Amino acid sequence: MNFQRLIDLALKEGATEAEIYYSKGKVVNVETQQGNVGFAEESVSDGIGIRVIAGGAFGYSSSNDPSTYEKAVRTAITCARARGKDPYLKGLPGPRPYKDVTGIYDKRIDEFELGACIDTMAAMVEKAKKDGNVSVTFGKFSSQSSSTTIINSNGIEAREKETAAYGYIDVIIKEGDQVSTAYDYDVSRALDRDFSGIGSRAAELAKSSMNGVSIDSKNCDVLLGPQAFSDIMEGTLLFAINAESVQKGRSSLADKLGKKISVDGLTMIDDGLMPGGLGTAGFDDEGVPVGQTTIIDDGRLDSFIYDSYTAGKENRESTGNAIRGTYQLSPKVGPHNVRFEYPRSDVIGETDRGIYVNSIIGAHTANPITGDFSVECRNSFIVENGEKSKPIKSLMISGNAFEFLGKINGMGKDDRMLGAFVVPTVRIKDVHVTRGSQ
Amino acid sequence: MEFYDVRELDGYTTSIVYDNGEVDEISEHFMTGGAVRALSGGSFGFTSIDDVKKMDAAIKDAVAIARRLDKLNPRPAIEFVPIPKIKKTTYKVIKNPADISMSAKQDLVKAVEEALKNNDLVKSTKVNYSESYSHNLFRSSEGDEAEFDTYRTGFSCVAVAKDGNNMQMGRRSYYNVGGYEIFDQCDPIKLAIEAKEEAIALLKAGPPPGGHFDVILDQELAGVFIHEALGHASEADTVLEGDSCIEGMIGKKIGSDLVTVRDDPTLVRYGYYPYDSEGVPSQNTTIVEKGVLKAYLNSRETAAKLGGHPGNARAGGLMRPVVRMSNTFIDNGDMSREEVFEGVDGIYLKGSRGGQVNTGEGIFQFNAVLGYIVKNGRIEKPIRDVSISDSTLKTLNNIERIADDLKFSSGRCGKSGQGVPVADGSPHVLVKNAVVGGSA
Repeated sequence: MNFQRLIDLALKEGATEAEIYYSKGKVVNVETQQGNVGFAEESVSDGIGIRVIAGGAFGYSSSNDPSTYEKAVRTAITCARARGKDPYLKGLPGPRPYKDVTGIYDKRIDEFELGACIDTMAAMVEKAKKDGNVSVTFGKFSSQSSSTTIINSNGIEAREKETAAYGYIDVIIKEGDQVSTAYDYDVSRALDRDFSGIGSRAAELAKSSMNGVSIDSKNCDVLLGPQAFSDIMEGTLLFAINAESVQKGRSSLADKLGKKISVDGLTMIDDGLMPGGLGTAGFDDEGVPVGQTTIIDDGRLDSFIYDSYTAGKENRESTGNAIRGTYQLSPKVGPHNVRFEYPRSDVIGETDRGIYVNSIIGAHTANPITGDFSVECRNSFIVENGEKSKPIKSLMISGNAFEFLGKINGMGKDDRMLGAFVVPTVRIKDVHVTRGSQ
Repeated sequence: MEFYDVRELDGYTTSIVYDNGEVDEISEHFMTGGAVRALSGGSFGFTSIDDVKKMDAAIKDAVAIARRLDKLNPRPAIEFVPIPKIKKTTYKVIKNPADISMSAKQDLVKAVEEALKNNDLVKSTKVNYSESYSHNLFRSSEGDEAEFDTYRTGFSCVAVAKDGNNMQMGRRSYYNVGGYEIFDQCDPIKLAIEAKEEAIALLKAGPPPGGHFDVILDQELAGVFIHEALGHASEADTVLEGDSCIEGMIGKKIGSDLVTVRDDPTLVRYGYYPYDSEGVPSQNTTIVEKGVLKAYLNSRETAAKLGGHPGNARAGGLMRPVVRMSNTFIDNGDMSREEVFEGVDGIYLKGSRGGQVNTGEGIFQFNAVLGYIVKNGRIEKPIRDVSISDSTLKTLNNIERIADDLKFSSGRCGKSGQGVPVADGSPHVLVKNAVVGGSA
């Protein structure tokens, strides 16, 4: 496809700048139905997003049908004109050199075919069901590959290929009136791990969660497993460090630059160059070089993350954080791989008394602005004398995500890549827990 | 049995976003494509494409995938119930949004924004307008066919109020099936004022107490409860997976006598559809009647296994059909709203920030936007960020009062990673002894 032709058309129709984002993806996906693989999918999709500047404002349109590409170009210009001049708009980015990134494309995933996906899923199910009592209520394995092209009228011309393999399993155990569930998942850019381990881990977690006890409401140390910690911080902390939230008056960290927002010794970095990271890329979704941005430096808020538009508003450079979920969306500010530097230790082993929480229900109901949340915990355990002991049937934890940053007093060595985070088990002191219904 | 069905979609969405008084985005997106689902023995093959001119090849591919899967991993054959022959009239759009000028839409959005920020405490505002149209074609290898158009239109608005370090958000929205006539069904300016007042009220709200309380849920929150806690557990695919806390309980009492719950895709609410994604004409399902579980929600496959009628298989865009809800609601009781509050000591919870459920264990969580302490039926001091988490069956049994003021709210349900439009509804309800998560 000759995208330069569409750029030329946009300029001829009166746009002053224009950008084409083209992505093409392929997915092979298998899912279980009633315990073994009963569904298989192979799909391809491709489409363009066209962003123009006309009359001093952005306009956006997208299409997945080449016969309407030209119409999309004209629509984007009409949308831009309808807005009126945007005084903050500094224009589209220009070309700059990209750093080499590694580990985001694995030919083996690109060539992974249906039979191999079925075998991988079957191995996950088999491991999960090794003990006769465990049933698999849902399992999924997919291999995805995609390529992205960005060109703009300032001379950016960028291309990248990437792959990912994703495995997920949900299990249940029923014995008498006892019911226990657990899930686990893993995602990787390369076929570098044994996905069947997801099955054994979920089954093990469900088993160890049987015959839960109830606990009294109190304040205590809470150890948030990687999933629980990332779930709570995703909708709150990641929202607040986003320059768009800051500029629009919706971030509670807006006036905290240079101030202490977490415990001493904690550094948080958005590392877009991490080898094999899920958010790793040489360039962001508007063609700006990706790098590493220190967000929290030894407890103090050091920087927000920016795309070119939000950076332009503050006369600074983009941090390379323009992200789009699909070609249908215009780029927005978003993180790559957010990781923590903090002394690591055997965080469970050194806890005398506390509660370990593996996962939570309702994380998306956290208040993104204030950081307040109150959620149900699943697969949680009493921690006594450095060990997980009895499972807890039901409990809620409540608090404030931003206050949690100042109450961290331990981090484990079990980092996992989960969405935009790379996080370990994190111990938070003095958390309010409420006794559950059972 | 070998079988396939085909869906083709084409359409557009337009969105206008005003943020802090300026246009943040005006965009228009075009979408076309098709999806094929094939069944061979006990295995499904699926494929989706952008270019519907390549449909014949896509059908071949889907059938080949199903056959290959069934050969590699043979399973018991899957049967489908036939598609019921019900005559359908499809909702016809009254005011086609494409006939309304862009500037008229922008004027509406600006007026909403003005109403939102008409207070010094309001520091940030956002208004989203969207309209979407899709033309839907269905056909199957059995010769069934369906064709219909869908319009969905609506807006949402957010006000953020700030007082010192305290920052709070109020939100209102109205979305429905239909075109520009949806603005005759609501008062956008009044809703904007409510959003502003909610943000300001939250500034004065304190942290919630944690523990076990009698709670009155408003229509929106009770609607989210019934969708999350009972609705998902009644989806027959979940039942067949052994992941539902109401498996094997049809005909049994699962809630208080007052509780009747229906799922009705024929109502002109946000979850409306004339045909589901298996080409089945939509119909009402009574899930619970006077506390007794009557039916699950079914696809053609699950209806063949569990009984009941099909018509609840829905797909997000070109993804695979999954058993889903439509317009799900607790039906009216016979008390007035005042009678529901009478003599209650507890908490009144309003509005929803969403919820989630574990259907297998029957545990749900949801979060209210705003709450009030209630003493002897009187609404007293406001509280914020209140969540409830509890057992589905315990909560259904503890519903002790139901008002007669049923109201629907529109939302999107994200089961199986596929967003589909739904409406949840309920009257005000009183639930005894619910678990409230709090920090005070």
